[in-house]
Amino acid sequence: MKKLQFVILLVTVFGTMAAQNNSFLLYSVKGNVSVIENKTETPAKIGKILSGSASLKLANGAIVTLICNEAAMFTFGKSGTYPLNKFGDSCRVNTSSMGSNYVKYVWAQMTSHGEGSPGSNRKAFMNTVGAVSRSINNIWIDPRLDTVNYSGGEFPLSWKSYAEAKTFDFLLYNSDNISEPFYKNVVSKLKIPITDFTKKMVPGKSYYWTTAITGEENDELKVLNYVSKETFDKLLAKLKSAGVSFESPAEQAYRLGFMLEDAHYLSEAYQFYTKAALLDSTNVLYRSTLMSFKKDYEVK
Amino acid sequence: MTHQPENVQKPLKKGFRHHARKLHGRFTKYLLERDTIFATAWVFIFILAVKVIPLPNIHFFDPIEIGLEDFDFNDIAYSNLGKGNYANLKLGDTTKFDHRIVLINIGHADREGIAYIIDKTASMNPKVIGLDAYFEGPREPHKDSVLQDVFRKTKNLVVVSRIKWAEHEKKHKEEKGKETVEEDKDHFLKDYFDSSYSQTGFGNLTGETIGTKRHFSPYEKIDDSTHYCFAAMLVKNYDIKAFNRLEKRHDHNEIINYSRRVNKYQLIEGDDLLNGSVDESALRGKIALLAYVNNNPDDIEDKLFTPMNSKFAGKSIPDMNGIVVHANIISMILDHNYINKLPSWVSVIVAILIGWLFMSYFVHYYLESHIWFHLVAKFAQLAAAILFVWLGMHLFTRYRIKVDMTLTIVVIVLAIDIIYFYEAFAVWIHKRFGYKTVFHQKQH
Repeated sequence: MKKLQFVILLVTVFGTMAAQNNSFLLYSVKGNVSVIENKTETPAKIGKILSGSASLKLANGAIVTLICNEAAMFTFGKSGTYPLNKFGDSCRVNTSSMGSNYVKYVWAQMTSHGEGSPGSNRKAFMNTVGAVSRSINNIWIDPRLDTVNYSGGEFPLSWKSYAEAKTFDFLLYNSDNISEPFYKNVVSKLKIPITDFTKKMVPGKSYYWTTAITGEENDELKVLNYVSKETFDKLLAKLKSAGVSFESPAEQAYRLGFMLEDAHYLSEAYQFYTKAALLDSTNVLYRSTLMSFKKDYEVK
Repeated sequence: MTHQPENVQKPLKKGFRHHARKLHGRFTKYLLERDTIFATAWVFIFILAVKVIPLPNIHFFDPIEIGLEDFDFNDIAYSNLGKGNYANLKLGDTTKFDHRIVLINIGHADREGIAYIIDKTASMNPKVIGLDAYFEGPREPHKDSVLQDVFRKTKNLVVVSRIKWAEHEKKHKEEKGKETVEEDKDHFLKDYFDSSYSQTGFGNLTGETIGTKRHFSPYEKIDDSTHYCFAAMLVKNYDIKAFNRLEKRHDHNEIINYSRRVNKYQLIEGDDLLNGSVDESALRGKIALLAYVNNNPDDIEDKLFTPMNSKFAGKSIPDMNGIVVHANIISMILDHNYINKLPSWVSVIVAILIGWLFMSYFVHYYLESHIWFHLVAKFAQLAAAILFVWLGMHLFTRYRIKVDMTLTIVVIVLAIDIIYFYEAFAVWIHKRFGYKTVFHQKQH
């Protein structure tokens, strides 16, 4: 039993030593990446050689490619800290021989019967689209949500996805630190109510938010200003005073809704559009505006 | 009651030996027959006749002929067997990342931008710098002036030059219907900064204009002086011993031993270099190659066809930037990994011996088991093609010996048709002159 323990210990020690002995070349660096070596953090620079004891720290959106022992290439594409001694496995290379690869190739060719021809099997060959692609990101966020001023109420931040996805990562950043989100949530719908994270925010401060298909990155950041009640009330009073004296309550609510929407107070605008439609339910304009607003911003 | 044999392996061993002996007999029974030797000779006579007799080009519409015009069996090693990939070290250490060479992408920088990139590169102390770009005529005066100044002060910079062969130029002009040029000598094309360069090396590669680049010429004599190619000049500055070894080979048509795609060289973007994102040690004592590099397969600017193309035959797109081809040549020279060509007479002898052996095998089936002849012959042809293609690739990738097995495969393919011809011929001379032949009793 002692012998077995000794063998396990030896294997562990040699394994750790081997992982430490790996050398990593910083092949390419994109975004905010730093190297932590001997408890000192320095910016990562292309062409630098790192030992197995170093760690890499990646900010959101950063990508770094390493070459281990001049033989194996691998990439980190997600934010976080990566101690390189844990990536000894990535240094391993496939040692399949030429002969075995050749046998596999010949066998694959001999057993492959193809998919027919474009004339006989049209669908199998209709994979080339004669057009250019002009979008990289799979997530589209309405430009009207570029800046949202919010003081309270139920209102969602929404988006569209061009790729099929089951879940989306919603990320919220402080305006002074966009490298690390302070709030992260995985949602299955194409929207998230602002009330889900209002407790995390401080009135009077600005935040950035973004969303991406789980496992993907999205560099597009949107602004969310969490406005205090006092600031909003002042604005509302100012907008109210701008109205004419013979304005009915429904007309005033509609006007306020329109002006608040224009000022990016979308949640508040929604409340006033709703109020206008309720006060004068026969008015087609109020109703259709409310319906369009709800549709545009994915309000339930 | 039945008795269990004492050793069950015995009959199995006997069976193997029996079958091996049988197979051996099929190959050798007719090996020394006159007919086998003459039939083999007829295969070579036929091949020679096709080559020598000036037949009209009947292949101009042949898609197979056109498709395989630029084909080499060894290309399969790169496209399908993993040679040159990160995942295949067993093919030799040469496929490792080459830390001696650094590629710097000049992108679409203008002359001033290139000047800054050269200057910054030089400040990081590489042993030698190569610039794979040429400059035709003047542009903005102040930008030209900045670049000229950098060229003058960077003494370890080798800039690419271009040889214009008179023969090629004449042919080109004739094809275009223009009058032939007065300048009938081989010459270098003029570059606007010629007078400012310290060193130049010609960047011409050998191969069809739109064909796979497999060869390069290390040096050429023009106007009684020797000029070295771009890669050779860079090696001369970096490792004089390696350069001397190249010179001693006296080979004007070296085969390029491609070992690396672009990701096996450090690639630095010009912008990253200028904004200080590159480590100070990244270029020190190395070969820095400045050129246009891009990994976008749809961008084919300065891209060439190489044996490393993922498609080894048929329509494809160029796969490698010119500078990566030069980098492969440099790696080869530094590692002394030259490919040695076997003389063509070796290929002929190999083809004769193997063709003779297969002819004997085919004659055996033709005469003694004719019902199986075609089936066996087709299988034998397929097996031979697989075996000899592998053998050629193995010698190429493992021992860097290039053997042309095409003739051997052609001989095996033609052997079957020639047997039919030879049978008729042998029976005819048997009837006419009493020639003794194994075919006269069994005609098909």
